[in-house]
Amino acid sequence: MVMDLNKCIGCQTCTIACKRLWTRDEGMDYQWWNTVNTMPGRGTPRDWEQMGGGFQDGKARPGKLPSRRDFGEAWEFNHEEVFHGGKGDSVHLQVKGEEPDWGPNWDEDQGAGEYPNAYYFYLPRICNHCTHPACLEACPRKAIEKRQEDGVVLINEDRCRGYRFCMEACPYKKIYFNHAEKVSQKCIFCFPRIEQGVANACARQCPGRVRFVGYRDDEEGPIWKLVDKWKAALPLHPEYGTDPNVFYVPPLAPPRFDEKGDVDESKPRIPDEYLVSLFGPKVLDVLALMKSEMAKTRAGEKSELMDLLIAYRWKDMFGGFDRDPATIEWVKS
Amino acid sequence: MRAHHVPSAELEVLLDPDATAWKSAGGEELKLEGTPLGMQLTAHIRAAWAGRKIGSVEQVSVAAVHDGQVLAFRLEWSAANGGVEPSDNHEFPDGAAVVLPSSPEAPIITMGAPGVAVNAWYWRADGEGARHVVAEGLGSSRTLDVELVRGRGAWKDGRWRVVIARALRVDTPEPIAQLEPGTETGFGVAVWDGTQGERAGIKAFSGPLWLELQLDAVPETTR
Ligand code: SF4
Ligand code: SF4
Repeated sequence: MVMDLNKCIGCQTCTIACKRLWTRDEGMDYQWWNTVNTMPGRGTPRDWEQMGGGFQDGKARPGKLPSRRDFGEAWEFNHEEVFHGGKGDSVHLQVKGEEPDWGPNWDEDQGAGEYPNAYYFYLPRICNHCTHPACLEACPRKAIEKRQEDGVVLINEDRCRGYRFCMEACPYKKIYFNHAEKVSQKCIFCFPRIEQGVANACARQCPGRVRFVGYRDDEEGPIWKLVDKWKAALPLHPEYGTDPNVFYVPPLAPPRFDEKGDVDESKPRIPDEYLVSLFGPKVLDVLALMKSEMAKTRAGEKSELMDLLIAYRWKDMFGGFDRDPATIEWVKS
Repeated sequence: MRAHHVPSAELEVLLDPDATAWKSAGGEELKLEGTPLGMQLTAHIRAAWAGRKIGSVEQVSVAAVHDGQVLAFRLEWSAANGGVEPSDNHEFPDGAAVVLPSSPEAPIITMGAPGVAVNAWYWRADGEGARHVVAEGLGSSRTLDVELVRGRGAWKDGRWRVVIARALRVDTPEPIAQLEPGTETGFGVAVWDGTQGERAGIKAFSGPLWLELQLDAVPETTR
């Protein structure tokens, strides 16, 4: 998958699409296989980038287990009182019990920088279905499999015994423990849809046309074009060593203003170091490439890269996985 | 160690660690050791546990009884927090297991080997019920069922008392331990301290060699 961070509006439609489809069963209430966070920010789970895991110099690096609070508990609201208790005028919707101090995307829209040069962008994340999956390699029960046919990384819940080494080892903290079922769970890349030629729910539902789907080696598809041909999309935290298969087109920010309020092109609004810390040094090449391709289109020339990113034709974003899910009769097994 | 013969008892009764059947059982103090780091199955686990103590429970008291039908083990050990049900991601349940050879050549240190299985009777404190497991090598364990082995644990005053039991013989083609009164078998025990993050191969165990268990013959008069 490729996600174009320039187009994400932080609407969380992807998050809810995933939630409605996959994480409504018991023990899944705190699970958000798709998250969208404001960056810079502490992320979901809180401070996950400081939790270790993955590989360092090719060697397994120990990691931490995020707590449920780090993810953000599923709060209970006083729906009864507000909607059915006849107190709609006097009571407002609020969390029941203890006042929460964290939740998914808790630091929404805080960002960084000083007015008028403040900045932020949204970072949607799913499991990266890594080529070198730390989760899979950490499991002593061989309960995690990377499917030969499509590369999807799946947990076999019949083999899982709830040991959570995968959760420690995944540097992206994209494994959730189900305390009711006592097994680990994670994004399944909508494999039942993919098998039927239907793109992932997060991708199809995205109003921003942020998410491209397809096989990496399909030279007709958008992934190969964006990642390999144009080299315009990069993995998040490549230094974690898991070789992710989700790639990001990095965000280009609007220009800075100087003290007089004039446009100041001498420095970027989002500091280069920050983007390098997320996507590695190649991010600067991508930003330069995007700027030059944008300049081309401004001059009236054609740019295949810009055409791809604009995604004029919605279905072209799905690398052949463009079947309408409404044409399929789905059976829950 | 001896598995004392006791008069025919209801399984439910034997699962109570205070049942009369246990009064005459005696029991033995076993020293436990941590499983070696090098035997942990994945590089991640080895990296995570390098320099950390494995096997926080150092001693367990074990007794065994059988009534000609059922063999029961009672394990007791000190555990500070056993009463707490794990509810967060970094909290793990305590656990205990008895392991028996399915065939005499099976090595205990590697939990069996291909073709020579071991049979584990596994109890976990998270109300999961007990598991009947066979393994033919590290990491190969497979749950046969969750009915045949029965386990019950009671935590009180900083101590776990757990009874794990199964029929001596079970009609199945699976490579499990089939036991006979009046004979000897090897056995081993393992204890997991969940509060210390112990789970899977991170545990305290009775060592790399089988211990001996002598099952009393059934006295003539009661046959
Ligand atoms: S992102 Fe984490 S859970 Fe997903 S495949 Fe990679 S290591 Fe495994
Ligand atoms: S649905 Fe699309 S635009 Fe909205 S938050 Fe998700 S990725 Fe961003």
